[in-house]
Amino acid sequence: MRIKLKTEKLEVRSNKSEFQRHTFKCRVLICTIILLTITPFSILWTPYTVDAKIYIDISSPAIRKLPVTINAKGSTKARELEWITKADLEATGMFTFVDPDVPGAEIIANMDVDTGSGLRVVLSVNDLIEGKEVLKKRFDASKLIIRPMAHSIANDIYKVATGKKGVFRTRISYLSPLPSGRKGIRLMDWDGFNSKRIVTRGLNSSHSWTQDGKYLLFSSERNRKWRIYILDFKTLKESILFSSKGLNLVGGTSKDDMVSFSSSRDGSSEIYIINTFGKKMKKLTRSFGIDLSPVFSPEGDKIAFVSDRSGGPQIYTMDSNGKGIQRVTFQGSYNTSPAWSPDSKWLAYTGRVNGKNQIFMVKSDGSEIWQLTMTGNNESPSFSPDGLFLAFDSDRDGERGIYIMRNTGEGQRRITKKGSIAMSPEWSPYTN
Amino acid sequence: MKKILIIILLVFAAGCAKKYTKAPDEAVKAPEKPLMEETIEMKEEVIEEVEIPADEMVREEDMASQEMSAEEMARQVFQDILFDYDKYDIRAEARQTLDSVASFLNDEKDLTIAIEGHCDERGTNEYNLALGEKRSKATKNYLVSLGTSPERITVVTYGEEKQLCMDHTEDCWQLNRRAHFVVLK
Repeated sequence: MRIKLKTEKLEVRSNKSEFQRHTFKCRVLICTIILLTITPFSILWTPYTVDAKIYIDISSPAIRKLPVTINAKGSTKARELEWITKADLEATGMFTFVDPDVPGAEIIANMDVDTGSGLRVVLSVNDLIEGKEVLKKRFDASKLIIRPMAHSIANDIYKVATGKKGVFRTRISYLSPLPSGRKGIRLMDWDGFNSKRIVTRGLNSSHSWTQDGKYLLFSSERNRKWRIYILDFKTLKESILFSSKGLNLVGGTSKDDMVSFSSSRDGSSEIYIINTFGKKMKKLTRSFGIDLSPVFSPEGDKIAFVSDRSGGPQIYTMDSNGKGIQRVTFQGSYNTSPAWSPDSKWLAYTGRVNGKNQIFMVKSDGSEIWQLTMTGNNESPSFSPDGLFLAFDSDRDGERGIYIMRNTGEGQRRITKKGSIAMSPEWSPYTN
Repeated sequence: MKKILIIILLVFAAGCAKKYTKAPDEAVKAPEKPLMEETIEMKEEVIEEVEIPADEMVREEDMASQEMSAEEMARQVFQDILFDYDKYDIRAEARQTLDSVASFLNDEKDLTIAIEGHCDERGTNEYNLALGEKRSKATKNYLVSLGTSPERITVVTYGEEKQLCMDHTEDCWQLNRRAHFVVLK
């Protein structure tokens, strides 16, 4: 039985203009990717006219799993490509996999892999019920870059099935101790692979992506001064965004390039906003106690933050001009590190229960609460840009590491290696 | 003070040893050393004798200080002060430490210090940075109230980023909830 919810028409594209458009897109892609030291690859669409059907409605409360067959052939690398693609789709909890020679699949994705020079994959996605091809696409890479290629293919299959953009090419920045013992900042793929160091100086703490994915704002202690820095991913050069006496911690960014942060420049820690050029600073809170961890809502009209004005730390929201302060959490006495869901409806946060930290989700008006983790200490939730996943850190297996789960609390798994210490993940926006 | 305590403990230990070991002679020999003789008296007449050795100890320290480098002195004065869980007010027992820090700073006029605020591992990292800052500032404010010039004190927070003790026990957490002094110059 298939739940057919809506149909939409894919735009009809003319052969030439589409080709040009994508050549241009690739150039942009190259720019954004070079800094991450991944060899760029180009994507060529075979133009298509088709009625696009949504196979899985991810907004439906009871998602049924779509039976799919993923079948890669043509090269010794085909298997690896297939595994990574499957692992991506598997993580969403929306698919079951059917072997190629077994009936039952509703969709089959065939990959023709050619590693003759670089890597070329022709992807063909077929609706087996309707008996027609719904997507055909060719991917070209000048080098044998299996992982990004597989993630791109997974994104395309996911798009066919759900009508939504996948997050399999997004990245996660996180903290990890350097040999000196101080925490540096690293960057990895969403599945924990391709980890690389991006900030090695100082003792680093909170960090946040700009909404275009081009910069990382971070707080770093150097020579006993906590300042806010901005890192350009393209050049990996960092510069100071905000410096004053006291503790300065970056919170989040808005889609119109404002940065929210906390500073104790005037004595107690208060919430401020400033633009990415370090200008137009505004002070938003004035209270005796600790106000910190301010994060903009996706629309930029609200800011969630932590305050101990009621005694212990609790989550509050306010308008982005500092007015209309409302307390969101009333359960428990230690609630910190808020993160907005991309649809603005929920706040994920870290709450203390029975002496352990756990991840919770609360409706932004405080009306509904879900506890998502149960074992060990779990901290620092961050939503994927589609809101389907949360990254967080946990010590449930001993050493603290980065985990992901779906927003239902299902599918929890460690993505950083066992034995290596990692914490405080921040999920990137869509980067391409 | 510490030395007195150690001596008292030694005496008690010696007492215990008498009861439990088969060679009481050795335990008896101990008082032959002059220091031990004094402490035995101290044990007998508790109230008065505690006072007297205390003076003697001070004299000892004064003698020692002539040989002691400023660094060693500083090490003795600048002891960590400890805090309650999720609190940043100065405990009563920390005041004695802070009083001697203040008078030391009063004697060493050109000394500048940093106060680092630290937390145990249980809170979340960012909030602990803010809490650590409150601890370092509370410590600074106390010294300033005793007459130390605020310009001579830098405060910095490390939250839970620089743990002194790595076990997950209350004893360890207590050692980590501290304000730590660093002599800058």
